Amino acid sequence: MAPSNISHRQTHNLLLISKLLSLRDTASPLTLLLDSLEQPATPLIKEYIRRARLSKVHVTLIAFETLKPFDGVDAFIPARRKSPSEMLKEVGAVDSSVASNSSNRRRLILIDSINPLLHSTRLDKSFHLSTFLSSFIVPSGPAASKIDSSLVITFHQDVPGRPAQSPYAPQPLTILTYLATTVIKLHSFSHILAQKAARDRSLVPPVFGLAEEQDGVLLGRLDKPIGKDSAEGGVVLEMEYRRKSGRGVLEWYLLPPASRYPATQVKEVVTLLDDHPLYRPPEEVGFADGEEEPESTFELRLTERQRRDREGVVLPYFDAQQGSGPGEGGRILYDMGEEDDFDEEEDEI
Amino acid sequence: MPSQLALPHLLTPYVVSPPKSSLTVVSSVLGATGNWLVLRFLYAALGNSPVSHPGYGDPEFETRKKRRVVLVSFLRGWEFWRSEAKRLGLDLARLTEKRQFAFVDGLSELFSAPSASSQPAPKPQHYPGAGIAPRATLPIRSQPVPTLLRQPLPASSGSDGASPQTVREPGPTKRLHFAGSGLAALDTIEKEITMVIDELKTSGPGEDEDEPEILLVIDQPDFLLAATGLSKGIGATEMGEWVMGLQQAVSATIAMISADSPLIHNGSTFAHQAATPLDTEHAAFAVGLAHRAEMIMQLRNLETGAARDVSGVLRVSKGGAWGQREGAAENWEEKEVLYFVQRDGSVNVFGRGE
Amino acid sequence: MSFRKRNIGVSSGVDRTPVPNSSTQPQTATQSAPSTPGVRPSPDDGRPTTSTGSPSLDNLLAGHGGMPIGKLLLLEENGTTDFAGALLRYYAAEGVVQDQKVHVIGMPEQWGRSLPGLIGPAESADEKSDRRKSERMKIAWRYERLGEFGAGVAGARAPAGGTGDQVSSTDSSQPTQPAFCHAFDLTKRLTHPSIGNMSYIPIRPSNEPLLVSIQKKLEAAIASSPPNTVHRIVIPSFLNPTLYPPEVSQPENVLPFLHSLRALMSRPASRITAMITLPLSLFPRSSGLVRWMEILSDGVIELCPFPHSADALSTSGAATSHEEPPQGMLKTHRLPVLHERGGGSDQNIGQDWAFTLSRRKFEIKPFSLPPAEGDQEAQDNARSDKMPKKADLEF
Repeated sequence: MAPSNISHRQTHNLLLISKLLSLRDTASPLTLLLDSLEQPATPLIKEYIRRARLSKVHVTLIAFETLKPFDGVDAFIPARRKSPSEMLKEVGAVDSSVASNSSNRRRLILIDSINPLLHSTRLDKSFHLSTFLSSFIVPSGPAASKIDSSLVITFHQDVPGRPAQSPYAPQPLTILTYLATTVIKLHSFSHILAQKAARDRSLVPPVFGLAEEQDGVLLGRLDKPIGKDSAEGGVVLEMEYRRKSGRGVLEWYLLPPASRYPATQVKEVVTLLDDHPLYRPPEEVGFADGEEEPESTFELRLTERQRRDREGVVLPYFDAQQGSGPGEGGRILYDMGEEDDFDEEEDEI
Repeated sequence: MPSQLALPHLLTPYVVSPPKSSLTVVSSVLGATGNWLVLRFLYAALGNSPVSHPGYGDPEFETRKKRRVVLVSFLRGWEFWRSEAKRLGLDLARLTEKRQFAFVDGLSELFSAPSASSQPAPKPQHYPGAGIAPRATLPIRSQPVPTLLRQPLPASSGSDGASPQTVREPGPTKRLHFAGSGLAALDTIEKEITMVIDELKTSGPGEDEDEPEILLVIDQPDFLLAATGLSKGIGATEMGEWVMGLQQAVSATIAMISADSPLIHNGSTFAHQAATPLDTEHAAFAVGLAHRAEMIMQLRNLETGAARDVSGVLRVSKGGAWGQREGAAENWEEKEVLYFVQRDGSVNVFGRGE
Repeated sequence: MSFRKRNIGVSSGVDRTPVPNSSTQPQTATQSAPSTPGVRPSPDDGRPTTSTGSPSLDNLLAGHGGMPIGKLLLLEENGTTDFAGALLRYYAAEGVVQDQKVHVIGMPEQWGRSLPGLIGPAESADEKSDRRKSERMKIAWRYERLGEFGAGVAGARAPAGGTGDQVSSTDSSQPTQPAFCHAFDLTKRLTHPSIGNMSYIPIRPSNEPLLVSIQKKLEAAIASSPPNTVHRIVIPSFLNPTLYPPEVSQPENVLPFLHSLRALMSRPASRITAMITLPLSLFPRSSGLVRWMEILSDGVIELCPFPHSADALSTSGAATSHEEPPQGMLKTHRLPVLHERGGGSDQNIGQDWAFTLSRRKFEIKPFSLPPAEGDQEAQDNARSDKMPKKADLEF
């Protein structure tokens, strides 16, 4: 790839993730975070909240599995044993209070885990995931039109879902990924590095945690895999962004651990994964210029005449390769002696 | 000497003082059960010798007063926990009397039909010769045999006032019943457990006025899910919410669940085998709990097969909820160790190759 | 061996009594023996145990030398053979002989009539000691030192006995004491005065769910028997669709039943043991339901019979040509008491077991592959007279 191309991609995609995470211009009304036990979404959610505070965005957390609100959450709505309509009502109530406070026009709604809702036995037939979600983004109230809401939903990929009532209907996850304007899949950086190292050696990439399918193993993550330093504590974001035009953007980013930067930092902290020195080590000097050949004392090239002469050479025993005659071609006739260590698999004679 | 054996120092940072409003998941498999680990949690909370370790929650917890523990057990009876705790030097019966400990029995009568509950309530010590049918009292005479066999000299158990009364233990305070179906049935159970919790909270005349810290230990809530299932309107979400409801009533929760391969992997997205609803629900519940846990202690068998001096492998990992609390002091790290439960109940914990 | 010796002292020290085991044991034995024949304290921790009817299974159970009272053993069997059924019959027959109350679930009375005939304790003990003498030089030297398999457990923990098998030593040294375990002959029929005392709980449709009604009948039967009775619950071929209606195998039926059974057995006053066999071909271990049944059981033992055609394999599995070839492998997934406490520390753990069912006994031995076929020299060497002595010197 040409250097100019890379830098263009860098600036463009970094601007994009910055816009997405800071909820600017309602770039993505519905963001889906796909996490797993190996890499929970907590760091990313905290990053969302941090940026929301910086830009004074109102944060609502609909908690299906969190008992205590995170720091920086303005409205905390426990969803335990609540029906979808009750939840909507509570969110709407917060809505109107936000609207009355005119300084605040943007709003972030976080759902800490959508799985319990999808897995609930209490959902009746009238529940439609798409209507439920869109009613957060496009509230029906009169005051609501002033507020730009962004919805960020976490889905635990490793929690198995129940087979759908109708085998022909799409699975909830399919619906979610279809509806979402941005899908961010989270990976642990150390796992990505381990998998890359394996691929670079043409080995089967390792799997971790539940994917190991080992008896009794829920989680494979360990703080300090042997011989690694804390530089790998980041979270890798595999982002897929669907533009309004329909064109998608795919990019891998790295979110460094929160302890690396102050909570008030405005400058972008996310980098491209490809720019990380551990993921793509800087290439060695000397090979940088593509066209030039390595210097040596030998002349490796042939002149035209040398080439012609070379083609004209008839190799010895060329005739023997015809495969006729007593010796049957070029076969070597040899009697095994006692001292010969004959290996059948090695040299097929 | 039991105190020294009871809490191996490698284990101490993980079992002492789970942080406030946290969930700790202990997962076990068929051949590597977690009862010994639960007993260590009990010991860390109730034991006599002060454990001088900051614990994995806030360091300030150390200075606080002792915790109280509610143990809800679905698979094991009072007798088991009492005798096993005794091996560690914990007299659960005495602690129950002192209202530092409460046992909620989810085994004895969980599924007994209402008619069966009128049958001999197996607490003959309390109603000696009460007016139940003569058949009902029959166990009394056979009672001394097991007790005597198990502890021939109860008075020598070390605790000063181990009078015969404490040996004839007061028994579990509460027995759970599962009746009906769906949320109502779960609510009843939840209510019964929170009643026990509240009793323990309010008790303690003459003690410091602030509410005591209650540690809730739930032994295999996943059984409740497996034994009821979707046909009774109980799924993984409902069970998860049930645990959440209990969590709100206490300061820290420890849940013991099964993580055997068929129960976790059949239902998982990586499965190659058709999963039954039981598998799916269990996996959803267990993995969901793991997402909500701050710490997960996974017990499993040695990969290389059973060994005589190793009982299993313990891996301590950060759960999905780790890092959600602000300013969570990071005074424990993920670790994988081997453990060995000896015949006398003491436990060795050591690293691989040590 | 020093390792095990140390354990004796420790296990008795913490919660029970500072008196060493050697003095406690006779005491407890005299307490329990007269009141209930067939029940003896475990050499490991003194809890009451009863025999499963086959000595080698008794010895497998984590050093207790029998089945601890209040425990439930799940026997799983692959394939269509019925080795587990044979074990179950020994178990039931032992109960009948010991005047315990045997409850059979799901089988007609014919099942009780087909129990194996009693040979008697003395005969079996004699046979055993004879066998041991005659085999002294034949058994591979490593196992020869172990004596009758599992005797090491009992021997090491009962310092008074010290010489070999617990069963035979109690029989011979104290003739007044009733036998703990008997020998049976599968080709004969058991005739015993108390055989009519067995109770049968048939599978009969009622307005209640089947397992609930079985549970109730069981509880009633146990409540109505005289005090101090030791009960045995026998459930052959559990969930087998030829016996049980299909809805029984729903988890919401099976698991509460097993849970209630567990509750019933763990009551401090009751003295019950139970043994269940489960056909694994119908209910594979890889299913969550079976795993829950295993978690609810105190002991889980899996039998994997060798296929019939594998004659070559089965003969090669015999340690020497003089032994009977094993008929299958036996796996212990969980042992009563031991695994509830956390597992480990059992000398039988980590062994590969093979079983042999003969007319007179169900024998469980360590499974070992002999020297390679045709290596006659090595096999002869292993059996030669000099080897055992050398081994004794070395170890």
